[in-house]
Amino acid sequence: MDNLKLMIVDDEERFLATTEKLLRKKNVDVVTASSGAEALEKLRAQAVHVVILDVKMPGMDGVATLKEIKRQFPLVEVIMLTGHATVESAVEGLQTGAVDYLMKPADPDLILQKATDAYHRRMGVEEKIRVARMRWLMKSPREMLKNA
Amino acid sequence: MDKNAYTSVRRFILITMILVPSIPFLMVIGIGYHYFSLSIENSTIASMKRIVADHRQMISSFLSERKNDLEMIVNTVSFDEITQPERLSSLFVQLQKTSSAFSDLGIFDKNGLHVAYHGPYNLTGKIYRDAPWFQETLKNGVYISNVFLGFRNVPHFIIAVAGRRNGDSWVIRATVDSQQFNTLVRQVRIGKTGEAYLLNSQGVLQTDRRSGGTLMEKPPEPIPTPPEGDDVHTMIHSPEGGEIFLYATAWLKDRQWLLVVRQEKADAFSALRKSWLPVALTSLIGGACIVWAAFTLTGAIVRKMEKTDTEKVLLSQQLVGASRLAELGEMSAGFAHEINNPLQVISAELSLIRTLQTEMVETGQLSRGESYEEITDSMDQIKTQIDRCSKITRSILKFGRQEDGCDALVALDKVVPEIIDMVKKKAEVHSIRIDCRLPEKTIRVTADPSRLQQVLLNLLNNAMDAILDKNGSAGGLIHVSVSNGSDGMAAIEVRDSGSGIQPENLEKIFTPFFTTKPVGKGTGLGLSVCYGIIEQMGGKMAVSSKVGTGTEFTVKLPIGRLKV
Repeated sequence: MDNLKLMIVDDEERFLATTEKLLRKKNVDVVTASSGAEALEKLRAQAVHVVILDVKMPGMDGVATLKEIKRQFPLVEVIMLTGHATVESAVEGLQTGAVDYLMKPADPDLILQKATDAYHRRMGVEEKIRVARMRWLMKSPREMLKNA
Repeated sequence: MDKNAYTSVRRFILITMILVPSIPFLMVIGIGYHYFSLSIENSTIASMKRIVADHRQMISSFLSERKNDLEMIVNTVSFDEITQPERLSSLFVQLQKTSSAFSDLGIFDKNGLHVAYHGPYNLTGKIYRDAPWFQETLKNGVYISNVFLGFRNVPHFIIAVAGRRNGDSWVIRATVDSQQFNTLVRQVRIGKTGEAYLLNSQGVLQTDRRSGGTLMEKPPEPIPTPPEGDDVHTMIHSPEGGEIFLYATAWLKDRQWLLVVRQEKADAFSALRKSWLPVALTSLIGGACIVWAAFTLTGAIVRKMEKTDTEKVLLSQQLVGASRLAELGEMSAGFAHEINNPLQVISAELSLIRTLQTEMVETGQLSRGESYEEITDSMDQIKTQIDRCSKITRSILKFGRQEDGCDALVALDKVVPEIIDMVKKKAEVHSIRIDCRLPEKTIRVTADPSRLQQVLLNLLNNAMDAILDKNGSAGGLIHVSVSNGSDGMAAIEVRDSGSGIQPENLEKIFTPFFTTKPVGKGTGLGLSVCYGIIEQMGGKMAVSSKVGTGTEFTVKLPIGRLKV
């Protein structure tokens, strides 16, 4: 998991701090954000593979943040973290482009596992993109030259 | 309303319903009886008066006829002629023809000498000049004596009439057989005790009396002398120590004789006495009818009231229950959601502690030992409790969310055995037998299959718990039956032979968070969720239970129609 960079977005500061500490211990690169806006800002600054996104937040809520992330950073995988009452919003999230959802209280190990899965998926996608691009490049050296 | 209130209402209605009809009923009977008795008395007295008047008329005419007989002789036959024995006896025969009451005939000259006689005795030769009757006859021309014995020692009375011969008077005297006269007077018969008799002015009996008292005697019980005059006089008089009599009296023979007709009052008014029986019987039956009607109606009214009240209480309970359930659902959903956030924090902290602990052991800062084990155990417990909380909040959220399920036509005879199969293993472990009775025809209901399954699994699990609670490993029987109700509903019954539910718990059984299970074992939401689900599917859920015998849950669901 050397390369996994995880972002956790939640309005619960202590949760952010503890989870960050915990995941760092497991050698996961963690970025935290306590609001949707902060998350978007940090996403612009650094490359993140997977975002764990709380559905219910003051200000910009989870679903709105998700839409914005997907619009600006379509390759970032998002996992929704929801209190049970908002399974509907989790479903909405999945429809909007989230890869998975977790129910509170979620065990940090489970969070990490799902994040890793998403990361691999993401890697897979990137790999495919790379391969495709490579194939396209390999297809025609002339074109390659033309583009260069 | 409590029992006391019903008792007082019952008493009030009962008293009113007995009293109100009883008062007019008794008044009608009382007034009716009063006027009836008055009329009976009046008519009895009137008829008695009439009898006395008629009887007086008859006796008077008898006396005046006898007097007329003699007067005719006096006027048609001369003294010389009548003193001849043959003539006298032929006259007597003639007299006897008109009335057999005459028993002899005597002729007296002006000096009272008995000159001629026809009769059973030999009486001629005696001089009656100073006898009062003779004097009276000469003076008034006619005389009718009281009844007396005379020297013959036979009761009789005499009628004497004076005649004229050349300025001198003579007298003809006839003896009237008292026996005949007696019969005439006594012939009056009214009722059982009605009788007629004659008294003279001294109160001596002039005739026999049927009820005792012979001729020439004073009756043992004197009656007050009625006032003068020709009117018939009536009175009610009670001789000392005797029966009460109704008397009717009338004067006869210029107030020398008193005709008395009397009858025992009880006898005279016997019609009245006889009417007592039907009146009493009517009162009794009428009264009984009133009381019966009052009791029956009161019972019906109070039962109806009780039923209405019970229904009212039930209805209000249901209303309160329904609205409270909805409110509670909303509130608890919010509450559960809020709890989940801190739980998430605790969970994260716990994981961190665990990681740190492992690290410390690895770096030698912490050595494994008794305390280490205790800390680990304690942390496991925190994990358990977090899971428990999360289970509760999940149940609450399930209960709070009344989302619409996807209703479908469910064939109960297929689905119910499937659901039973799910718990069969668990049941077998506890040696519980599940007996299932299905209808011959397929019953389809409109329901959400997964939620119906949730409800039935809940009920089956509860049933197994109840049996385990009662019998332990000895097991028991769960009876499931599916039937087609007449009210357009299909009924699923789950009956267990378990420990039953206390009556005070039975009414709270569908209330959220109500549980009798030990702490940590149940959330108290299972049945309330079931209730909510069934209600939402347009069905009904009911429970009946008997402590020690078992519990029966009934789920009713609307029968679905296949859409063509």
